[in-house]
Amino acid sequence: MKARIIDRDDVLKIADLLQGQGYDVIAPFPGRGRDTFFESISDENRQRFQIHLPNPYYPPKRFVFPHMERLLTVRRSNGDLLIEPTYRESKRALFGIRSCDVAGIYHLDRFYLGREYHDIYYEKRRRNLFLVNVVCTVPGADINNECFCLCTDTGPAAKDHFDLQLMDLGDEFMVVAGTPAGEALFSDSMFKRGSEAHREKRVAILNEVRKQFKKTTSWFSATVRYVSQGAVLDKTWEEIGNRCLECGGCTYVCPACTCFTVSDHQTGSDEIERVRIWDACALAGFTRMAGGHNPRRAVHDRRNRRFFRKLAHYFIQRELSMACVGCGRCAAVCHGDVGMPNVVEMIRRASLESDTHAD
Amino acid sequence: MAHRLTTCTFCGVGCGLYLETSGNRVVGVSPSMSHPANEGRICVRGWHVHEVIDAPDRLKKPLLRKNGRLEEVTWDEAFGFIADRLKVIRDTHGPESIAFLNSPRCSNEETYLLQKLARAVMKTNNVDHGAGVYSNYALNVLLKMFGTPGTTNSIQGLDRSDVIIVSGVDLGRQLPTIGGRVIRAKLKGAKLIVMASRRHRVAESADLFLLHKPGTVSMLFGAMAKVIVDHGLVNLPFIRSRCSSYEAFLASVRSRDLLATAEACGVPADQIEAAALEYARAASAAILYTTGIEAREHDSVEAMVNLCLLCGQIGKDGGGIFSLTEHNNLQGVCDMGMLPERLPGYGMVEDDGARRAIEEMWDTSIPPRRGMSASWVLSHRGQGAVRAVWLCRYDPASTAFISEAGESLRQCDLVAVQAVFLTETCKYAHVVLPTAVFGEERVTFTSTERRIQIADKVIDPPAGIEPAWQQLVRVARAMGAEWKYDSAADVMDEIGAAVPFYSGANYENLSHDYGRQWPCTREHPMGTQFLFAPGHPSQSFTFIPIEKPARPVVTNDEYPLTLIFGHSLYYWHQNVLIKHSETLKREYRMLLLDYPDGFVEINTSDAKRYNIRDGEKIRLRTTSGSCVTAARVTPEVMSGTVYVPYFVGQVLRQLRGDQEKGAQLLPVRVEKEAA
Amino acid sequence: MPTENIYLPKTAILDRVTDEIAEVKTFHWHFEDEAEQKAFKKFRPGQFAQVSLFGVGEFPTSLPPSPTEQETFFTVRSVGSCTSALHQLKPGDKFGVRGPYGNGFPMDAYEGKNLVFVAGGIGLIPLRSCIVYALNNRDKYGRIQIFYGSKTPSELMYVANLREWEQATAVECSLTVDRTCPTDVWTGNIGVVGSLFKKPGVGIPVENTIAFVCGPPVMFRFVINDLIDLGFEERNIVSTLERYMKCGVGKCGHCCIGVAYVCTDGPVFTYEQIKKLGEDI
Repeated sequence: MKARIIDRDDVLKIADLLQGQGYDVIAPFPGRGRDTFFESISDENRQRFQIHLPNPYYPPKRFVFPHMERLLTVRRSNGDLLIEPTYRESKRALFGIRSCDVAGIYHLDRFYLGREYHDIYYEKRRRNLFLVNVVCTVPGADINNECFCLCTDTGPAAKDHFDLQLMDLGDEFMVVAGTPAGEALFSDSMFKRGSEAHREKRVAILNEVRKQFKKTTSWFSATVRYVSQGAVLDKTWEEIGNRCLECGGCTYVCPACTCFTVSDHQTGSDEIERVRIWDACALAGFTRMAGGHNPRRAVHDRRNRRFFRKLAHYFIQRELSMACVGCGRCAAVCHGDVGMPNVVEMIRRASLESDTHAD
Repeated sequence: MAHRLTTCTFCGVGCGLYLETSGNRVVGVSPSMSHPANEGRICVRGWHVHEVIDAPDRLKKPLLRKNGRLEEVTWDEAFGFIADRLKVIRDTHGPESIAFLNSPRCSNEETYLLQKLARAVMKTNNVDHGAGVYSNYALNVLLKMFGTPGTTNSIQGLDRSDVIIVSGVDLGRQLPTIGGRVIRAKLKGAKLIVMASRRHRVAESADLFLLHKPGTVSMLFGAMAKVIVDHGLVNLPFIRSRCSSYEAFLASVRSRDLLATAEACGVPADQIEAAALEYARAASAAILYTTGIEAREHDSVEAMVNLCLLCGQIGKDGGGIFSLTEHNNLQGVCDMGMLPERLPGYGMVEDDGARRAIEEMWDTSIPPRRGMSASWVLSHRGQGAVRAVWLCRYDPASTAFISEAGESLRQCDLVAVQAVFLTETCKYAHVVLPTAVFGEERVTFTSTERRIQIADKVIDPPAGIEPAWQQLVRVARAMGAEWKYDSAADVMDEIGAAVPFYSGANYENLSHDYGRQWPCTREHPMGTQFLFAPGHPSQSFTFIPIEKPARPVVTNDEYPLTLIFGHSLYYWHQNVLIKHSETLKREYRMLLLDYPDGFVEINTSDAKRYNIRDGEKIRLRTTSGSCVTAARVTPEVMSGTVYVPYFVGQVLRQLRGDQEKGAQLLPVRVEKEAA
Repeated sequence: MPTENIYLPKTAILDRVTDEIAEVKTFHWHFEDEAEQKAFKKFRPGQFAQVSLFGVGEFPTSLPPSPTEQETFFTVRSVGSCTSALHQLKPGDKFGVRGPYGNGFPMDAYEGKNLVFVAGGIGLIPLRSCIVYALNNRDKYGRIQIFYGSKTPSELMYVANLREWEQATAVECSLTVDRTCPTDVWTGNIGVVGSLFKKPGVGIPVENTIAFVCGPPVMFRFVINDLIDLGFEERNIVSTLERYMKCGVGKCGHCCIGVAYVCTDGPVFTYEQIKKLGEDI
């Protein structure tokens, strides 16, 4: 991959270049307190732009898989049905997307586009999406207490699947091109060739940043094994289930969760729209069938299900990507503190107990 | 894409969340990580609030009943009709023939103006909110014992509690954000004591779970007081300096017998003792309950507050009494004086001083006698005295609590409804005014932790639709009043003058941080995290001796089970919102879909004893009536009890028969009904 | 090449409705567009389609016709809002259909084998397709046996087909009911469907035989036990699973159980696979 060096002050000029190419450039901005959210960069807000700030909890997956999205409209006239799909095809650039979220979008690519059926709504949004990744280097801003991308091998610096990657080297930024579209931007004069010293600095910073992660959950891969083999005790799932208040939050904020439900809305006397809305396997109604049969009634069955779907070898192989990217959002939004890092820890502890019990 | 911080309006927690808009459409929602009430968490309802805002089937034009049918008319015609009809009714039958009722979901501004319209313009104190039937009692107890009606402490403060007692309420379902806070506090080391007559999710995390017979809360807390007195753990310095009626209370406690009480409650005495000792020895301990009725006997709040005073668990961070409100603005609606006997700020209508202060402010007279309560108005039109009813976002016809509400409304000469959807109540309406919804207006709500906060406007309402408070201004003007409010902020300025503990709560101040917790005064504009802190004007508290605590229902061989009338477990009062979200409808109506003809819940072991299978038809028989329904067999309810969700209105009427109205517990027997 | 929109229903026209049993009707329909009709007709027995009632929603339903038959139809019980909306439609009304989806039964792989069909109640709907398909390709299969039971005589599905199969020599068809009402004229077997297996003269071959089982969960469990007692291997017992699903194409996630998406990996599974999925049927 080609890399270039730019001045610190030129970072926003990349956004300008993309805007010049017709992209709506969307970046994380600070809100009240520690809140941050994605917003289009405009003349009005560009002074508020910051490169290092907490990753927004409302995940950028919604720019390819919206929280609520119209699939089609259906009009009735003279007994006929006019069924029309509605697509969104405008160009968008995510400027400052973190490495975990890049991995999340890659996972969605594998899921929505990688198998027998292609999701055209996803595809049209994805094809028009440009990703400018920012490497997480500042503890407290980029890296928070819940981050565990080291364990999922998705950060703090993404290895691929971005168009451009920015890394803060102090006075300068290293810019890495991940795609031809990204590389094409290097024709601008602000991109300078780098030196071996730049490369060494990058490695040194990344080595230092590794130590800043509080949640290292080194037991993550063992958890994958335990979950895949069905070796996690029912008791552990019950404990996890008892702390789940079934809000669905972990799924909604997850960059790699894909489930949705579909709903028809009356929009006029002879017109309806069909929308799809994020759905969550934590919810009791998720598997309930018309007529009342629900194969997954107990809350711990549903919790078990979510972690199995994310961590089972079978699905990792099927998608060639794991449905957990180490962003830590599920932990931050969970009422009962049963986000992924804690679940890994609970499974580890339970396995120790059962080991000693066997002795 | 734009984001704006606002306040969730589903329940009393008042979570901070961001609404994402695209054009004039709300397309997404996410929690605020920094809002002190929720800190990044919201419940399933909050996560789907954008679907509710987006509901396409809402009303967009005013409706007027013509030839028996509601027809779309112009706004002028609708307001003209209302003013004419109100004048005729007032002139013919007097102002007492008109009543104004609202829902505890209404904003502070519209509530304030509604009661002002009633009192200042129409000259009647017939104002009340829909939850008054069961919540006003808790309010009055707190006023009597603390002098302040509300949760004393902050939700965030639970992080600093050493002991948390949760009585009755199923937090996981009713107020999940508080439920989560309690679970996390427990994980961080707080002792969690749960007392309830049915199992629930939060109980699974409890250190001590006291599963007690329904109707014994007061006895249970009384027994704990007895343990504390016997162990010499009473906080005497606190009591001596700040409390009255202690001697009388002490005498009533001394007469208790722990073992006998334990048996009556169905709880082992050592569990009661353990709970009492934990509570008394804690540096700070909180007690949580809800204002919902949920089979709460009359003296249970007194018993809980007595215990709190006995140990001085008040006036400090992490302690206090959490009188949790399920409706998002129950606290605010009461603060605004939406009560037949109380003015804004809780002054009594019949207290000349309190009334005069408001009269001077409004520059008009207020009738000096208390008005009629909502249940009085709706059960038989106040013995026929009521001719006109104004209903602001209130849908009494589909809440089973007052089963005669529909019939009462049918007999009125004017039923005016402000509503978003064509509710059941609109069937009886002469005129329906569609209003703006959450997200379309900038107004304030007061959460269960006394947090006055702004719910922001993020999109425009459909053409012609105004916020409910503006419609009230139009009615007042049509009735000849010279009201002038340019914005909801102007209304809040007036509220600040009428309600002393809101005097610092202007919109400028509220738009910083995450709103302010009252008292928020000119002197203390930053608000108050917990009440009665040392240093603040000292306050005196009162014990209320409970001579004869409520006792459990006496069952016998013929009627061996206790029937509990629940109310809020399945969120019936939010149905109008929930049914507009595919996901929420699915989640909250699931049990109704599984048991389409309604159901009652029976414990698994009882079901075995009476040979009843899940979903089977059964007959419930009380001394005064009987009914057929389906059984939902579940280990969640306590053995020996049968739980009736309130929305099965039919069941309720058949079983209560001529029993005392409002009876929450009845002895019952269960019989198999032939299929 | 433009990607096809997998969520886009095509307009279908209802031709006629016939009553089956209480709350269950058969809906004969065709696509408005002839090319669609032609493409759709390539479905395999055991596949399913997504039916759209616009303004209400979409639901999955199995395809009871055999591709060897002329007509396309669904047989649907009114259980939820979508299915009851379908029941309201009149001939000439338009609705949406997309599909066919799912793996279907591998009827080619079963050539040369004996086929045993065991159905309970409306479990006959998904099996009807394979039965008709097998009978229309009679020379490709060995013995064909049908065991079908319902609660009462009035709850037997596809009565005309049953009569035909009972009289045909190419197939051995046994019927039973759990109970009769005094008004029923029923001279046949009484008892659960498994009781038919041991009747004199039935003699289910186990070697080189595929057993198709569809019916309510309780019946399913009993029949599976009976078949295993007879010596059937788990991989030679096949069924179709029903799950709540929204998309039918492996995206919405609702029907994902164990390691399978019922919609794309199923709905046809062998009992060996079903056991590994680790959930209630």
